[in-house]
Amino acid sequence: MIAPAAVMIFLFFLMPVVLTAIFAMTNMSTATGISGGVWQVTQGAVNRLKADMPELASGIAEPRFVIDEEGLAALEALKLKAGFTAELRTSHMGEVFPSRREAERVIKALKDRPSTREVKQISDLFNRSVLNTRFETRDELMASLKRLGFTLTPAEQETVAKATYTGWVWTTENFRIIANSPDMAQIFLNTAFYVSVTLLVFNVSYALFLAITTHYMPASTASIFRAIWLLPRITPVVIYVLMWKWLTWDSGFISMFMGQFGYPPKNYLLDSAYNAWFFVILINGFIGASMGMLVFSSAIKAIPQAHFHASEVDGASRWQQVRHIILPQLRWPILFVTCYQTLSLLASFNEILLSTRGGPGKATEVWSLAAYHTALQNYTGNLEYGLGAAMALVLVVVGIVLSLIYLRIFRYDTLISKPLIED
Amino acid sequence: MTVLPILKSATLAAVLFASTAVFAAAKDVTISVWSGGSGPNDNYRTDAFDIAADILEREAAIRGEQLNIIVQKTPYSGWEDFKQALTLAAEAKKAPNIVATGHEDIGPWAQAGLIVPVENFIDLDSWPISDIYPNLMEITSFNGTVYGIPQDAESRPFFFWKPYMKAIGYSDADIEALPAKVAKGEYTLKNVLEDAKKMQDKGLVHAGYGFYPRNSNGPDYWQFYTSFGGVMEEEGKLVFDKAAMKRTYQYFADLVKAGVTKKNHIGMPGDQWWKEVATGKAGIWHGGTWHYARLVNQEGLKDFFNNVQFTLTPAGEGGKSNTLTHPLAYLLMAGHTDEETRIAADLIKIASEPRINALHAIKSAHLGISPSETKVDLYAADRWASEATERLLPHANAMPNNADFGKYWTIMWKNLEASWTGAKTVDAAVNDAETELKSTLGAAIIIR
Repeated sequence: MIAPAAVMIFLFFLMPVVLTAIFAMTNMSTATGISGGVWQVTQGAVNRLKADMPELASGIAEPRFVIDEEGLAALEALKLKAGFTAELRTSHMGEVFPSRREAERVIKALKDRPSTREVKQISDLFNRSVLNTRFETRDELMASLKRLGFTLTPAEQETVAKATYTGWVWTTENFRIIANSPDMAQIFLNTAFYVSVTLLVFNVSYALFLAITTHYMPASTASIFRAIWLLPRITPVVIYVLMWKWLTWDSGFISMFMGQFGYPPKNYLLDSAYNAWFFVILINGFIGASMGMLVFSSAIKAIPQAHFHASEVDGASRWQQVRHIILPQLRWPILFVTCYQTLSLLASFNEILLSTRGGPGKATEVWSLAAYHTALQNYTGNLEYGLGAAMALVLVVVGIVLSLIYLRIFRYDTLISKPLIED
Repeated sequence: MTVLPILKSATLAAVLFASTAVFAAAKDVTISVWSGGSGPNDNYRTDAFDIAADILEREAAIRGEQLNIIVQKTPYSGWEDFKQALTLAAEAKKAPNIVATGHEDIGPWAQAGLIVPVENFIDLDSWPISDIYPNLMEITSFNGTVYGIPQDAESRPFFFWKPYMKAIGYSDADIEALPAKVAKGEYTLKNVLEDAKKMQDKGLVHAGYGFYPRNSNGPDYWQFYTSFGGVMEEEGKLVFDKAAMKRTYQYFADLVKAGVTKKNHIGMPGDQWWKEVATGKAGIWHGGTWHYARLVNQEGLKDFFNNVQFTLTPAGEGGKSNTLTHPLAYLLMAGHTDEETRIAADLIKIASEPRINALHAIKSAHLGISPSETKVDLYAADRWASEATERLLPHANAMPNNADFGKYWTIMWKNLEASWTGAKTVDAAVNDAETELKSTLGAAIIIR
């Protein structure tokens, strides 16, 4: 029975982490592509080569089209109209053109009038520079350079290959960027603030408060209250956040209400970093509180009623019941909620994305949102898969470390050890 | 008993087979076109291909070929979603044939091999390509190769609400002369701040509405950097002019400090922004030539010219007045057969003809791509197109096509936003930008 479980764990839990780790060790981005690169002498590559190999750099920097025998032979092999080859040989042999366009002007003027497609085919054959050609392998580039008269030592080849490769390479640079960027540090602090405040105030404390207060209510009243607190959880998140926006926009409810007292309308959600945090934490807290409430309520329900009855006979107050009966028996659910909600707060960003988008001025940008923006969605369309994956990997590590700490704090080993009474 | 079903299916198979045979004789080609940043006025970015396909089919018919082009159009209204969808589709080998996008994507997409150079398929000397403004063709080139065909041109003016300008003491003649004064550098960004303040002090506009910039990241903000003397690229290398960037960041911090621009302006709902500038809630703002179309068509600002004056982006300390043109380009995506790409290229060529392109230019209030387009009746008769072309386009520069420019832009914007909202001091923002540029771009950027 263990095999299917192991396969599931591997596929759905381990694989994403492994893939994230692999991506994190690369500089993959929109510009490098995902599937690998080619070797291409671009203007940028020439710039990179200028310092180390100035001679080569200047030699390959210009496009060059030459009407030569090699090209004519290739043209004959194409079996286009025979007139093309003959006329090029008699009238243009040895001519050199500094751009494709100029070479094509001559080809176009041939008496047999090649079509645009043929012009492109023919001009390709006389291209005698490596500039802008995409070579599928490194050897093809080196062979072409050799034909141009550049015989390179293996070390030089390495330099040229490095400067001209367009794909991604293995690197640990992402982690250096994360470690050194002041913005990353700020985002890290944002995340710590967001997770700890939402967790402590709402997901645990407030949930506990709801569970205990509803415990002391008549059953029907209690279920109404619980149902109300479940609404944020069961409302689709887009609509739920949209309602918050209606509340806080310039033309929203708060603005209208404050307008009665002469305050000009303003966007309360994005007015300042404090406001943004206030609402982001409320938005998430209201959703998170319901989960804790359910878990704690059912855990309280599981406490034998006799405990409460006995304590009441002994004259215990409500507070004493909470302090000495409920809380000690809720250690396990509190550990579970704390641990689970920490991880879910660390990884979830949809409410923030929908409400503030991390604004104003990146004030509410948390780690997972920043990773998403970096790797998958930003205005300039420069998707940095490698860096984003590295950020996600940091999150995985933080999550594991925090879980271990929680297990320690709540003394997990005593929770799962067999009760002494049954020994 | 079983003969009948067999006979039935055999007949059906025969019919099906015959029908495919007929279709095979006619050539069916599906050409998909995606476009980014395309609002309700920009439908001709993709609709132009319906017209182009019709013409190309007719041309093929005259040559005796039967060509049937099915154009699949996917316009995206925003940029983030569009670029995400396109990049991931291309990586998954599901790219469209043609895409209309900002020219700055050419650099990274060419390096990644997502696009193929248009010049491999189009004769650049042929009409109408030969007629397109050479500086636009320059903007759609990368590494000396023409990768795209300019789809439109535009430039980004400053707008002034005339009634408020009058209310703070400008005469009609002064307002008339404003564009020239801005061009000469006599009216600067400092004056913008002062006039915005005056409008608020007089109670003409609410606090924070004196100067009302774009509500999100955009190429516009590079204009301010240029106004303060910054340069984006020199000889193929990106340039970060620390002093100019500092003056740019400082300007927005000053605007907020003076109370003429809202601290939380960035990220406000776009619809609200449009409604406010169209109804005179803002005193001075900036945008693009295409704003004219939205203001007049969607926002109900019928009397544009009596209410609004427009100029270049005024000069700041150490720089000159300028505007930025951000042409979209039609690009050919990789991963299709030669045949399909050639047809796509032919379609782009036809869609670039003056009369067809003018449909887009005038409907969306962009500027034309060729001199002959300005002579098309529709274009020539449009006051906005002709005035904007004359006043702005000669001063326009563009963002560089550089595979690393996106990184630079992201870092520049992040820190501008941070100093604007007060999350960082101006000094910290500039220093952070410098640190991050050094660590991410290294030798690819000149810092001075």
